[in-house]
Amino acid sequence: MQITPDQWILYEWRGLALNATVAFTWLVMAILTLGSWAITRRLSEGETVSRWQVALEVIVTMIRDQIDQVGAKDPHRYLPFIGTLFLFVATANLLMIIPGYSPPTGSLSTTAALALCVLVAVPFFAILQRGVGGYLKSYIQPNIIMLPFNIISELSRTLALAVRLYGNVMSGTIIAGILISVAPLFFPVLMQLLGLLTGMIQAYIFAILAMVYIAAATRAERQVSEPESQQQGE
Amino acid sequence: MQINWLTVAAQIVNFLVLVWFLQRFLYGPIIRAIKQRESRIEKRLADARAQRDDAEEEAERFKQKQADLDARVDEVIDNARREARDLRRDSKLKIEKEAEHRRAALRERIEAESEDALQDIRKRAAASTFNVIRDTLRDFAGGDLSEELADRFTRYLADLPKDDRDRLAKAALEAEKTAHVYCAPDLSSTTRAKLTRAIHQTIAKELEVTYASDPDLLLGLRLDIAGQTVDWSVKQHLDRLETEVREALTNAFPFRQQKDAA
Repeated sequence: MQITPDQWILYEWRGLALNATVAFTWLVMAILTLGSWAITRRLSEGETVSRWQVALEVIVTMIRDQIDQVGAKDPHRYLPFIGTLFLFVATANLLMIIPGYSPPTGSLSTTAALALCVLVAVPFFAILQRGVGGYLKSYIQPNIIMLPFNIISELSRTLALAVRLYGNVMSGTIIAGILISVAPLFFPVLMQLLGLLTGMIQAYIFAILAMVYIAAATRAERQVSEPESQQQGE
Repeated sequence: MQINWLTVAAQIVNFLVLVWFLQRFLYGPIIRAIKQRESRIEKRLADARAQRDDAEEEAERFKQKQADLDARVDEVIDNARREARDLRRDSKLKIEKEAEHRRAALRERIEAESEDALQDIRKRAAASTFNVIRDTLRDFAGGDLSEELADRFTRYLADLPKDDRDRLAKAALEAEKTAHVYCAPDLSSTTRAKLTRAIHQTIAKELEVTYASDPDLLLGLRLDIAGQTVDWSVKQHLDRLETEVREALTNAFPFRQQKDAA
């Protein structure tokens, strides 16, 4: 059996292989984009709102509220990035119940790509918020000795982000595969249900952790300066 | 457990494209729709607030108007009451005045009637007194009534108090030295001579005495010397009687008494 959908080659053209990871990613992208387009094409701004629009509004406002609760100042700035992380991972995991589908999040390449995006997004938003100098200064907090440790922590948490998602999704697929061979009739259904749950949880965890990293980077200065202002206030 | 870096690159691109797609088709429109709806609701709430404020203002204005109307009604009622009171007082005064007027007219008529009655009584009394006296004197004297009158007057003059006689004499000497004697009925020449003598004796010797008949005296004599008079006649008595009768009548008619008191 295949551990990762990367090795499942669907089409090959002059050495460029279209593997299942990319293909199913395109499927997820198509579902999300077309679904959004179909619903938001006829948006209502009045009192009567279609149930699909209500569903989308609930999802979007929920994500926005989550971002807000993490403590970011302007949720709308992070909404596209964090929201897409959550929606993509969640959709990719939920489609697991379709036979023949292999979740792209079960590929380390996908999770590494998402983690790399987060790795870049953290300094991007931090610099946007505080400037280059302000962001770089956060690496030598509380003093210069911490610089290597800060860099290591930045990289290691990105690695952890990638591996956590990959491991959880892949393990679900593998466990399901093993259980099908052991107890083919009833047990895999429960495991599938469990897989849906863990898929949603992983999507939530991934998005929230990304947001936490970004929020920590954008408000590092504030955490340092707050006690000072309090002392001045006294 | 390997990472296909080409796939990683493709997935990064895929992810970024998906971010752009979703921003374009999902977050943007949805957030916009929510904001517009919220602003619309906000606007409606503001409109409702404005309308409520208007309504409250209107209600306040109506309340004010009602209060004004109430005040006006009270004022009108007060005015009407005052006018009614004035009217009542005026008409009462008018009626009282009219009643007073009528009462006065009635009183005047009664007085006039009583005056007439008095006059009548006086005439009758005078006539009957005159008759009685005349009959009595005639019966009593049996002779000439005028002679008896002259005798009586002579005695009356002699009986006059000394002061009166002196005053008469003084008036006679200072004035034209003429004494007028009015009598009723007329005196005979002998009686006149006798009376002249008596006057000369009692008052003054150089007085010239003239005689004239005066039926007004009814019966009796009046001596007039320069405005000073000695009256001894039935008229004098009748006048006194008239006064008494008038007093009696006055007491009998309260209206007249009231008027006299006023």
